[in-house]
Amino acid sequence: MSDAPQLLFKNRRLGETTFLDGYQKTGGYQGLRKAFKEMTPAEVRETVKVAGLRGRGGAGFSTGLKWSFFPADQPGEKYLVCNGDEMEPGTWKDRELLKADPHQLVEGMIISAYALQAPVAYIFIRYAYEECSRNLEQAIAEAKAAGFLGKNILGSDYSLELHVHRSAGRYILGEETALLNGLEGKRPNPRSKPPFPAQRGLFDKPTTVNNVETIANVPHILSGGAQWYKGLALTDGGAGTKLYGLSGHLEHTPCVELPVGIPLRTLVEQVGGGVRGGRKFKACLPGGASTPFLTADQLDVAMDFDPIAAAGSRLGTGCVTVFDDTTCMVAATLNLNRFFARESCGWCTPCRDGLPMVNWLLEKIERGEGTMDDIAMLKDQQRNISGRSFCALAEGAMGPVESLLRLFMDEIEDHVKLGRCPLRTR
Amino acid sequence: MPTLTIDNQSVTVPAGTNVLEAAKGLGIVIPHFCYHEALGAVGACRLCAMKFEAGPVKGIQMACMVEAKDEMVVSTVDPVAAELRAHVIEWLMMNHPHDCPVCDEGGECQLQDMTIAGGHSIRRFRGPKRTFRNQELGPFVVQEMNRCIQCYRCVRTYQDYCGGDDFGVMGSRDRIFYGRFKEGRLESPFSGNIIDVCPTGVFTDKPFRFKSRYWDLEEAPSICPHCSLGCATIPGGRYRELQRVRSGVNREVNGFFICDRGRFGYGHTNHPERPRTPLLGGREVSWDEALSALRERIAQTVATHGPQSVALLGSPRATLEANELLRRWADELGCRLQFEIHPQRDRAARTLAAGLGDKARSLEEIRNADLLILIGADPLAEGPMLALALRQAVRAGGQVAILDPRPVQLPCAAAHLPLAPEQLIPALQALASGAAAAFPRQQAIVLEGLIRQLTQSQRPVLIGGADLLGEAGMAALLAAADKLSSPERPCGVMGLLAGPNSFGGALLSPPEADADGLLDAIQQKTVKALICLEADPFSDHPDPARAQLALAQLEYLAVLDHLPTLAVRRADLLLPTTAPAEGSGCYVNNEGRLLPFAPAIAPGVPIRETGHGDHPPRSFSRETPGSQPRPAWAVLADLLNTSIDLIALRHQIEQAFPSFAGLAALPLEGEGLRVNGPGIAPATVAAVPAPASTGLRLLATETLFGSELLSALSPPLATVTPAPFVLLHPVEAETLGLSNGLQLRLTTPFGFASVALRLSEEMARGLIIAPRLRGTALENLVPGGGLLTCSLSREEAP
Repeated sequence: MSDAPQLLFKNRRLGETTFLDGYQKTGGYQGLRKAFKEMTPAEVRETVKVAGLRGRGGAGFSTGLKWSFFPADQPGEKYLVCNGDEMEPGTWKDRELLKADPHQLVEGMIISAYALQAPVAYIFIRYAYEECSRNLEQAIAEAKAAGFLGKNILGSDYSLELHVHRSAGRYILGEETALLNGLEGKRPNPRSKPPFPAQRGLFDKPTTVNNVETIANVPHILSGGAQWYKGLALTDGGAGTKLYGLSGHLEHTPCVELPVGIPLRTLVEQVGGGVRGGRKFKACLPGGASTPFLTADQLDVAMDFDPIAAAGSRLGTGCVTVFDDTTCMVAATLNLNRFFARESCGWCTPCRDGLPMVNWLLEKIERGEGTMDDIAMLKDQQRNISGRSFCALAEGAMGPVESLLRLFMDEIEDHVKLGRCPLRTR
Repeated sequence: MPTLTIDNQSVTVPAGTNVLEAAKGLGIVIPHFCYHEALGAVGACRLCAMKFEAGPVKGIQMACMVEAKDEMVVSTVDPVAAELRAHVIEWLMMNHPHDCPVCDEGGECQLQDMTIAGGHSIRRFRGPKRTFRNQELGPFVVQEMNRCIQCYRCVRTYQDYCGGDDFGVMGSRDRIFYGRFKEGRLESPFSGNIIDVCPTGVFTDKPFRFKSRYWDLEEAPSICPHCSLGCATIPGGRYRELQRVRSGVNREVNGFFICDRGRFGYGHTNHPERPRTPLLGGREVSWDEALSALRERIAQTVATHGPQSVALLGSPRATLEANELLRRWADELGCRLQFEIHPQRDRAARTLAAGLGDKARSLEEIRNADLLILIGADPLAEGPMLALALRQAVRAGGQVAILDPRPVQLPCAAAHLPLAPEQLIPALQALASGAAAAFPRQQAIVLEGLIRQLTQSQRPVLIGGADLLGEAGMAALLAAADKLSSPERPCGVMGLLAGPNSFGGALLSPPEADADGLLDAIQQKTVKALICLEADPFSDHPDPARAQLALAQLEYLAVLDHLPTLAVRRADLLLPTTAPAEGSGCYVNNEGRLLPFAPAIAPGVPIRETGHGDHPPRSFSRETPGSQPRPAWAVLADLLNTSIDLIALRHQIEQAFPSFAGLAALPLEGEGLRVNGPGIAPATVAAVPAPASTGLRLLATETLFGSELLSALSPPLATVTPAPFVLLHPVEAETLGLSNGLQLRLTTPFGFASVALRLSEEMARGLIIAPRLRGTALENLVPGGGLLTCSLSREEAP
């Protein structure tokens, strides 16, 4: 694995943060120079589109396509917003990136804002990431001093204001329209779409929201070229590298940069050193708490958006949480669902009240007090929450629940039949 | 006009209609909570699911969030959609306390109806319910948060529509709490609307608490009598008591909401001191005896002293029908007729009615206007729902400017230029002519900005208040709008008048009518007998001292009224009439809109259900106690010896005045009908009294609670009516050595009062502003009579 190309983690060294000098030594701000000296905004957008970059925040939407909806050529106020509200349980890749090498995001923001012709950009960052926020503020100050940011960047007629905004700290703020409300100082309820942020976003002006890792890839695409970037992936449909953060019942739980499309098995067995204590792999969340479980027979799936979708889950954030065979999947799902129920903003009924109903059912089953009717009810709750909520939060919460019902029905029924959790020894 | 198919039925709806509304048009009502016509669709409750089978949108969708389009095929009975609706109801009912037996909403609870309609009947959730501690929200609204289903209607009404900022949503997940951010009563003057919009019993009417079940109430469509806007209301009564008022719907006027003055101002109907029996010289008499005594007395007076010795006084409180019969009676007698004793208000209303024509703008048109200039108009005091209409205009991108000596508060952004009262007419002339150079520089800059805005605006409206503008100001307002209008870009006008039927009285008013002349004639004893129709000349003349002196000369005073007024107490003959909620008739609102209403209850002394621990009283009589009051128009019809019903009377009015065409056919719950023709302006122009020039000048004004006659008699409003105060600019206060909050003695030509001093930087200089507060020492400061001389001094230590 040591020979894998390193883009985002190229300057990463334990306990150190690379600032301007170190960043420039390894090619930093070359992408920006190229963009400003050689390319029109439209060419930058086209390059990102051709490179096949897909959103790294979880949804995996084509960044180039998203940018193509943005009225970049229309004059007036418009915004680029970076979503750094990394609150998906098990996901910690953006933090590692910002701890190691914050200039990548700053450079990416400047290039992206230039591509979109947005005069103001915000980095919206998780409340707990104070160290990352400070790194970014230092990097922004350095970039300004070096002429990469501010008025007339590199002598062009393009100017950019870049702000860091610390989130007040709720999971819902990761939802892009809730984030925009939060950034405006309002209650972070998601907004209804349409209108999409590209038409009416921050302060009702055209806005594009991209994840930290997504934006950090942009300088590399420009300096290395779209075709090179696309070729980094191991799958035909994929593009680039990906940050993978591991957690759960593994021998090692690092965060690494590997090509898109690497087999899940490689992450679990080689990077993670296999399941802890030689136990058996039971299941994993391939990309954060809102992705459906994958089981041992799916370990050879390639870590890319389409293959994982075909396997019944989502690549999500690419941060894998592994469960060994001592795990009660009902309890694990309950734990996840409690998080989502707690983080519901309270706007729509399926999420606000449906998730607590699911909690109640899972708790009852886990306690051994469930009935077959409760299992049927769990199914009808899941069926009526999935796809019916206002935003993706409850939809995500149903990922684990849906896969629990699909993959572990025997285990659920054992709870009912035994009148206790089958994995609990006492 | 898209055409779509819903449940195999084709329906064509206006563009922009959502599918939930389109289905409603076919009589298919799908359960919903968060959607409300006035608040819009937000897609929060997820209840109105329908299956979109073909067309531009597919699958299960929330119907409120989907705009109707051609070729849509929609099923409301699709099993997947129906299953989702049942689940949403199940979720909403998880924490609901099922306390319907003790909940005031029971019977008119949307949650009850929708729970049944949604197909959820068996509770499966057995976990603990979440509970809340409730807040004390003041005298109007009771909160019971445990019943809440989180539809967000209250906060969308209170904050978004009404502009209140003290109440909102707190918490998250299944702990959403709607309440005040800190202790205290709801501050918005429109707070009661959350009672109407709440689909269940979270917010209920406090004065109405535990009084009646909805199905036991007698209700009828009515018109609010507490200002000149004519909002639709639905009063409800039981046991001969008017127990509550809720908002009616008139899309052209108030929309779906009313103000707290209109909602909680009904106490006058139940007032214990209300006149309920015909009184002749203080003696209870029968209607027959009273009416023949009146006929005889008038005939005798006319015979002895000629017709000019009798005068009839109508009022802005009386219905069009009653005022019209009064007019006929005056015709018959050949005597003097006056519809409003307040000379300036009378002339201003007649000037407006004569000149408004197609410049009239409804509240709906104001909600859709793009520039609104208020000149001497204080909406919250003089027509509260106008303030809410202005807010909707601002929310839609319109702009509001205020030219006023008072610190006019609005629930929306507005630019305010404090001008002295005598500057208002010049300001109107400046707006019309486009030249503001005669004003001091700072004021000229603002006025020039407004002139520019006027040229750019598409739908401008000038709004003026009768009290500050008077006759000359109303004329200037109309002239300015004429000047600013072109065929492509007309400029509208709205005038705020004193009472619910000021406009109607003005339309009927003879050109020579002259309130001051009437008072002079009474003073000189030319007029010896006065008959007052729901009017109190003792209290409503801007110079009460002069009025009372003159009225003391009367030989005979007959009063028809339903309020315990000074005139009622002084009357030689009293004829009790019905309160607005007990009577029927028609008001003409300030834009000339005919608004009919029907009686909700019959008059009678409210039954005290239980008293001092005893059971409902069991006393029997042939007659309902207190049921003698009759509609004023019926009393007058008797006096005119015509037996006529209301519809026939309206037909006669239509025939006599073509401008009232359509009156008889007006449906009760419609939008009313604008009169089709002008009134007649006063024949002569009254001299404008020179404003007091020396010292501080006093401007008496209306205020939200406490000034208006009927609502000032309502107990719930007493708690929110301010103690007497005056407003002063801080610069004047400094000169006088006075500071905010001081208790002072205010001396006026009509007496003195102890008042608290409030300072405001947003008012004109050189003025003291005092609200008329009935039942206090500020009662006799009748607004609209021009500026008064006054002095302020420190209260001497007791």
